[in-house]
Amino acid sequence: MNRVSSMLKSALAAGALAAALALPVASAGPADAQDYPSKRLEWTIAFGPGGGNDIMSRTLIDILQKHKLYPENIVAENRAGGSGAVGWGYVFGKKGDPYQISSTSGSFVTTPLQADTPWKPTDFTPIALLASDDLVLLVKGDSEIETVQQFIEAAKKKPPTIGGIGAVNVDFIIPKILSKQAGFDFDYVSFNAAGELNTALLSNSLDAIMANPGEVLGLIESKDMRPLAYSGETTPPALGDVPTLKEAGYEIGVSLPRGLILPPDVPKEAQDWWIETIKKVVETPEWKDYLEKQILTENIRYGEDFRTFLKTTQDRFAEILREQGAIK
Amino acid sequence: MDLFANLWMGLSIALTPMNVLYLLAGAMIGMIVGIIPGFGPSAGLAILLPVTFGMDPVGAVVMLAAIYYASMYGGTITSILLNTPGESATVASTFDGYPLARQGRAGPALVMQAVASFVGGTVGVVLITLLAPLFALLARNFGPPEYFLLAMMGMLLLVVMVGGNWRLGVISALIGFALGTVGVDLETGQQRFTFGSAELIGGIDFIPVAIGLFGLGELYFSLWQGLHLSRTGSIVDYHRERRFWPEARDFIETRMTLVRGSLLGFVVGVIPGAGATIASLMSYSIEKSVSREPERFGKGAMAGLVGPEAANNAASAGAMVPLLTLGIPGSASTAVLLAAFLLWGLRPGPLLMSQNPEFAWGLIASMYLGNIALLALNIFAIPLFVWMVKTPYRILAPAVILVCTIGTYSVNGSIVETWLMFVAGIFGFFMKMFGFSPAALVLALVLGKLAEEALRQTLTISRGSFMIFLERPTSLWIIGITAAVLLVAPLLRRAQPRD
Amino acid sequence: MKRVFILAILALALGYTYFAFELSFLSSTGRLGPGFFPRVIGLGLIASCLYALAVEWRSGGTEAQERGLWGVAVRTALLSGLFVALLNVLGGLVAMIVFMLAALFMLNPGRVLQNLAVAFLLPIGIYVLFEFWLNAGIPQGMLPLPV
Repeated sequence: MNRVSSMLKSALAAGALAAALALPVASAGPADAQDYPSKRLEWTIAFGPGGGNDIMSRTLIDILQKHKLYPENIVAENRAGGSGAVGWGYVFGKKGDPYQISSTSGSFVTTPLQADTPWKPTDFTPIALLASDDLVLLVKGDSEIETVQQFIEAAKKKPPTIGGIGAVNVDFIIPKILSKQAGFDFDYVSFNAAGELNTALLSNSLDAIMANPGEVLGLIESKDMRPLAYSGETTPPALGDVPTLKEAGYEIGVSLPRGLILPPDVPKEAQDWWIETIKKVVETPEWKDYLEKQILTENIRYGEDFRTFLKTTQDRFAEILREQGAIK
Repeated sequence: MDLFANLWMGLSIALTPMNVLYLLAGAMIGMIVGIIPGFGPSAGLAILLPVTFGMDPVGAVVMLAAIYYASMYGGTITSILLNTPGESATVASTFDGYPLARQGRAGPALVMQAVASFVGGTVGVVLITLLAPLFALLARNFGPPEYFLLAMMGMLLLVVMVGGNWRLGVISALIGFALGTVGVDLETGQQRFTFGSAELIGGIDFIPVAIGLFGLGELYFSLWQGLHLSRTGSIVDYHRERRFWPEARDFIETRMTLVRGSLLGFVVGVIPGAGATIASLMSYSIEKSVSREPERFGKGAMAGLVGPEAANNAASAGAMVPLLTLGIPGSASTAVLLAAFLLWGLRPGPLLMSQNPEFAWGLIASMYLGNIALLALNIFAIPLFVWMVKTPYRILAPAVILVCTIGTYSVNGSIVETWLMFVAGIFGFFMKMFGFSPAALVLALVLGKLAEEALRQTLTISRGSFMIFLERPTSLWIIGITAAVLLVAPLLRRAQPRD
Repeated sequence: MKRVFILAILALALGYTYFAFELSFLSSTGRLGPGFFPRVIGLGLIASCLYALAVEWRSGGTEAQERGLWGVAVRTALLSGLFVALLNVLGGLVAMIVFMLAALFMLNPGRVLQNLAVAFLLPIGIYVLFEFWLNAGIPQGMLPLPV
């Protein structure tokens, strides 16, 4: 059984870890570079089990193992805490070690803006951006508003209330950019979790919400909610013919990165090895299936392009949040 | 009838040997994660989630849901025997459960908790079966104004919770409110009292505070009293032959408590974001306020244990309503379940029950069976738990510290939360010694945050007007019910004959 | 003691209120800001502590109720604090064993075999339960110990 084998693996890992700890970490010199990878990989998941980041990491590990893309053992460790600060802080501390890897999600950009983390997203060695979390703008199913144009027209007459999750988040940034470009005002109402956000729209408390497509798909199908526009580059098939904000004429350019990173200062060979490997991973049917079920936008950028993406995203975030006084 | 046809189909699915096996496995695991302090149902669910990849969705959901409601049974066992809540919804069960155990009534207390959990859980499933669409309407109509009013209802109950010394009770409640303001401000995203620590962005978690205040605080207090030197050397006075079963009086006295706790728990459980913890604390306060002998609460009143237990189990059933009928998660645990639905290729939402009837009804039917199994499992396991706690206190005390610390650490792998639990433990010791009210502190911690967030959301929505509370039908209903209870309750109590 | 405890809460309340006044009272749009409730709570806490202190002072001391085994309570509390501090240094398993040995020999002196058995078996059991069965993280420790 899967469970038993993973238990065995962890038992072996405990022993191997001891051996690894006894060796100096900086052994990853150029001498190893040719035969990379030749050691056990430690995969840090910066969140607890069951969340989006965890599910993505475990899906990737499954693919790497099933298709024998990584020759050695892979050990996944959940290092949760401080909205990712603990886990990514750990990877950051493993400078130069090519046998450390971690997956990123939204907090990778937002946590360093909120707290004094010793690291910035751009400090790490980027492997690839794989997908992005994008949001859909929704109104209640019985609303008179049917298109994003009508929504903007109505918003210009009377500023709407738009709900989303958290204040330091794309949920707020996306409508903010849209409102600036389209020229309307709105009041943002911040919620803790999807449950309260969705009932707030259903209970006529809000005019519109920004939501992850996966969390509202059922409510869209039952016509309780109506999608107006999608913030990503291309609309996922599950949402049907909903236009993107770009197609409606607005350039948002902000989304949360789901990608892979190595610690800072990792040898170039290791980075290149991973970029080549990920190129194979994204072609597997398992990965396509994951994207489809989670309703993520496929958005692939390798290496330095990923770093640029992180920089642009964080700069936009910082600019808007500073205007709002949310961060200093 | 359609309903019975559905239920029959559900039963025939739930009763297949594999699904019964999954159900029992889930129930056992749920009991265990419930018992371990700190380690709650959402952590247990998340751990087993990967195992369910590739499983048949019905079997998978039967197992995962069983973990969720079984943890409500398991979490109470340590509440009663060690004053240490196994998880957040069983904090209220320490208030009278532990005094009962100390008085030599551990057996009856554990049996009554199993019975109350069973009644709460079963009433909950019956209500899902019969009236899920009606209750979905309630969840659908809950926006920020209604959350604020719900929190206000809870705040009224704080007065009851405060206990004997009201001056110290007020201080306790204010500390709870103050702790609730730590973390990122929901509305503006500004940091409050986090001093740059990433660990505090998410605020102060309820569980380390509760384990510290009640579990460790009580432990230090017992050592201070010299319990480890006492003649028997153990905290519970228990004889298997005598006093295992509750007396008839226990059932008669708490029959209305069971009804109130189950109904209240279910309704609060249906509302996303409110959940079992608030339901059980509210139930405790309500029982205390309607009781003819409120002075017995906190000193081993059976109603003070039965009410919260019925409520938290009914709430865990209630939480399935928005999940199944709207695809909306009401808590951290149901959010994990929702993530699982997606992974299994289901599409949660209002059409789920009609598109996948075998899934929804298989789950509902399994909950009837699960509660019966858990009732039996709990009663059979009581002697084992009591035997463990009969270990001399001088050995038990270090073991309890060990389990609380590791349990708290493992929830989020956070050393900051572990320190928080330790500090709360020292604090709890002094609070206990000087007659403060840890109960008021935890209730204020839960409700204060909810009230502040909901009020500020409401005022943003209404652009500063308080009239919004009178313009929304659901809000008016809540105000009406609260007013009616406030007016009628004193009359009722006066009308009751004192015997 | 009781007065000292209330004084300690008062000191914390003063600190809390000081930082509460650094947060804005109203938001930029004129609604309740992040500092609104903290200020109300902080001032309320200060007022209620002062009132409680006044009452305590008038009623005289409570020393009679405060007689207990301070030594053992304080030592146990210190040990549990030390345990938390050692978690990340020694790692979960070693810290657990060290703590259990210290606590058991303090609370249960004389029974060497019993203490040794409990202090090793229980931590190992918990370690196996959490690390392998629950797959939940136990602190790893900074020293290169074989666990």
